[in-house]
Amino acid sequence: MAPPQRCPLCRQTFFCGRGHVYSRKHQRQLKAALERFLPQVEAARKAVRAAQVERYVPEHERCCWCLCCSCEVRKHLSHGNLTVLHGALLEHLASPEHKKATNKFWWENKAEAQMKEKFLISPQDYARFKKSMVKSLDYYEEKEDEVIKEMAAQIREVEQSRQEVVRSVLEPQAEPDPEEGSSAPGSRKGTNSQVASSSQQPSFLDLPPAPELDWMEPGQPLTFIGHQDVPGVGNIHSGATPPWMIQDEEYSSGNQQIGPSYEEFLKEKEKEKLKKLPPDRVGANFDHSSSTSAGWLPSFGRVWNNGRRWQSRHQFKTEAAARNKQQPHKETS
Amino acid sequence: MSFLLPKLTSKKEVDQAIKCTAEKVLVLRFGRDEDPVCLQLDDILSKTAPDLSKMAAIYLVDVADTPVYTQYFDISYIPSTVFFFNGQHMKVDYGSPDHTKFVGSFKTKQDFIDLIEVIYRGAMRGKLIVQSPIDPKNIPKYDLLYQDI
Repeated sequence: MAPPQRCPLCRQTFFCGRGHVYSRKHQRQLKAALERFLPQVEAARKAVRAAQVERYVPEHERCCWCLCCSCEVRKHLSHGNLTVLHGALLEHLASPEHKKATNKFWWENKAEAQMKEKFLISPQDYARFKKSMVKSLDYYEEKEDEVIKEMAAQIREVEQSRQEVVRSVLEPQAEPDPEEGSSAPGSRKGTNSQVASSSQQPSFLDLPPAPELDWMEPGQPLTFIGHQDVPGVGNIHSGATPPWMIQDEEYSSGNQQIGPSYEEFLKEKEKEKLKKLPPDRVGANFDHSSSTSAGWLPSFGRVWNNGRRWQSRHQFKTEAAARNKQQPHKETS
Repeated sequence: MSFLLPKLTSKKEVDQAIKCTAEKVLVLRFGRDEDPVCLQLDDILSKTAPDLSKMAAIYLVDVADTPVYTQYFDISYIPSTVFFFNGQHMKVDYGSPDHTKFVGSFKTKQDFIDLIEVIYRGAMRGKLIVQSPIDPKNIPKYDLLYQDI
């Protein structure tokens, strides 16, 4: 018997030596494996003519199993946030190691010679692929620039319309307030002219700073209602008594008593605490104001662990007599 | 929006609110109902009031109705929002020159909610002044005008 050899394609160990490779089973496995691998290679070959560049998506991290080299190979080539479809696979297929591995594979597994060519990419093909890749990269960049310009134009339009609305609202308000402090209308005019000039600038980069400034110096500035300065009377900054602490003349003397209200407050606190306890705990509805008599503990006949039986009996009889004496009293009353 | 929130129209009512609001942040907006920035602020207040009902009580006060308070809090710009807890005035450091009140409107509802939460937590821990969680970019800028300077 030949020494045991493992066939990686059939994933089994065989004792037939070199003969296994010619068996029907092995050839069948080989055919199936090549059929699985072929579509990937064909897709990569198509990309040689027309390389495609796309935005990076995590799906582009997928790998493919190269049958000849028995290793995982990245399918797409990504750099930054762009991906060239089938780039990495093509690179691998054009490499000399892959050629050597393919030849070895074909010799070992006795596959059909015509099929071999299909799994190889010549260096000329690879050069052609590189050229088309450069072209499609340029094209992609152009497209992205166009999209950005469109977005910028849109944003500019929206800003313009918003500014117009704000201006039209502010105009009627400007007349009835002639006594506004000098700073307020001055700052408003300043902001309006600044925003108008920035929106007329064509570059895209100036747009984000302008809306931010809009918020910080409000397009509708805060209304100024005059200095609250009454000489002689202090305010919060000078540490005067707060108005709510000053007793009014209308306050009746009854309201100034804080005695009962303080007690009420404490009671409320207690009630709140009690509410937090579970409502069906033991003794929840216990009446704390009821009085208890001396005989509140239940009597189990006073059975003790030591002492004689007659002692407990004696105790029981005394208690029973006392209880019976109590009962007729209660009944009569 | 301003009709959705309760209003206080006299000094006595304001006193009452300050003294009787217990265990909740009291928010008093001093301003005028027709002013555009006040309208923005009222919108935010009325939308967040139900969500904050357990932490805060919000009232609107017209500056013309309560000259005592307008003068005590030195309210020169409207709207101005003042915060109290259990009858104690709460100060907040917003990065602006005046810590005793918030001048202007909030940029988003979340800003206001965050501020109320920080004030509530600070008050529960016994702090009389807290640090505002709002991004300084979103705090409205104003010039603090000093008389005779």
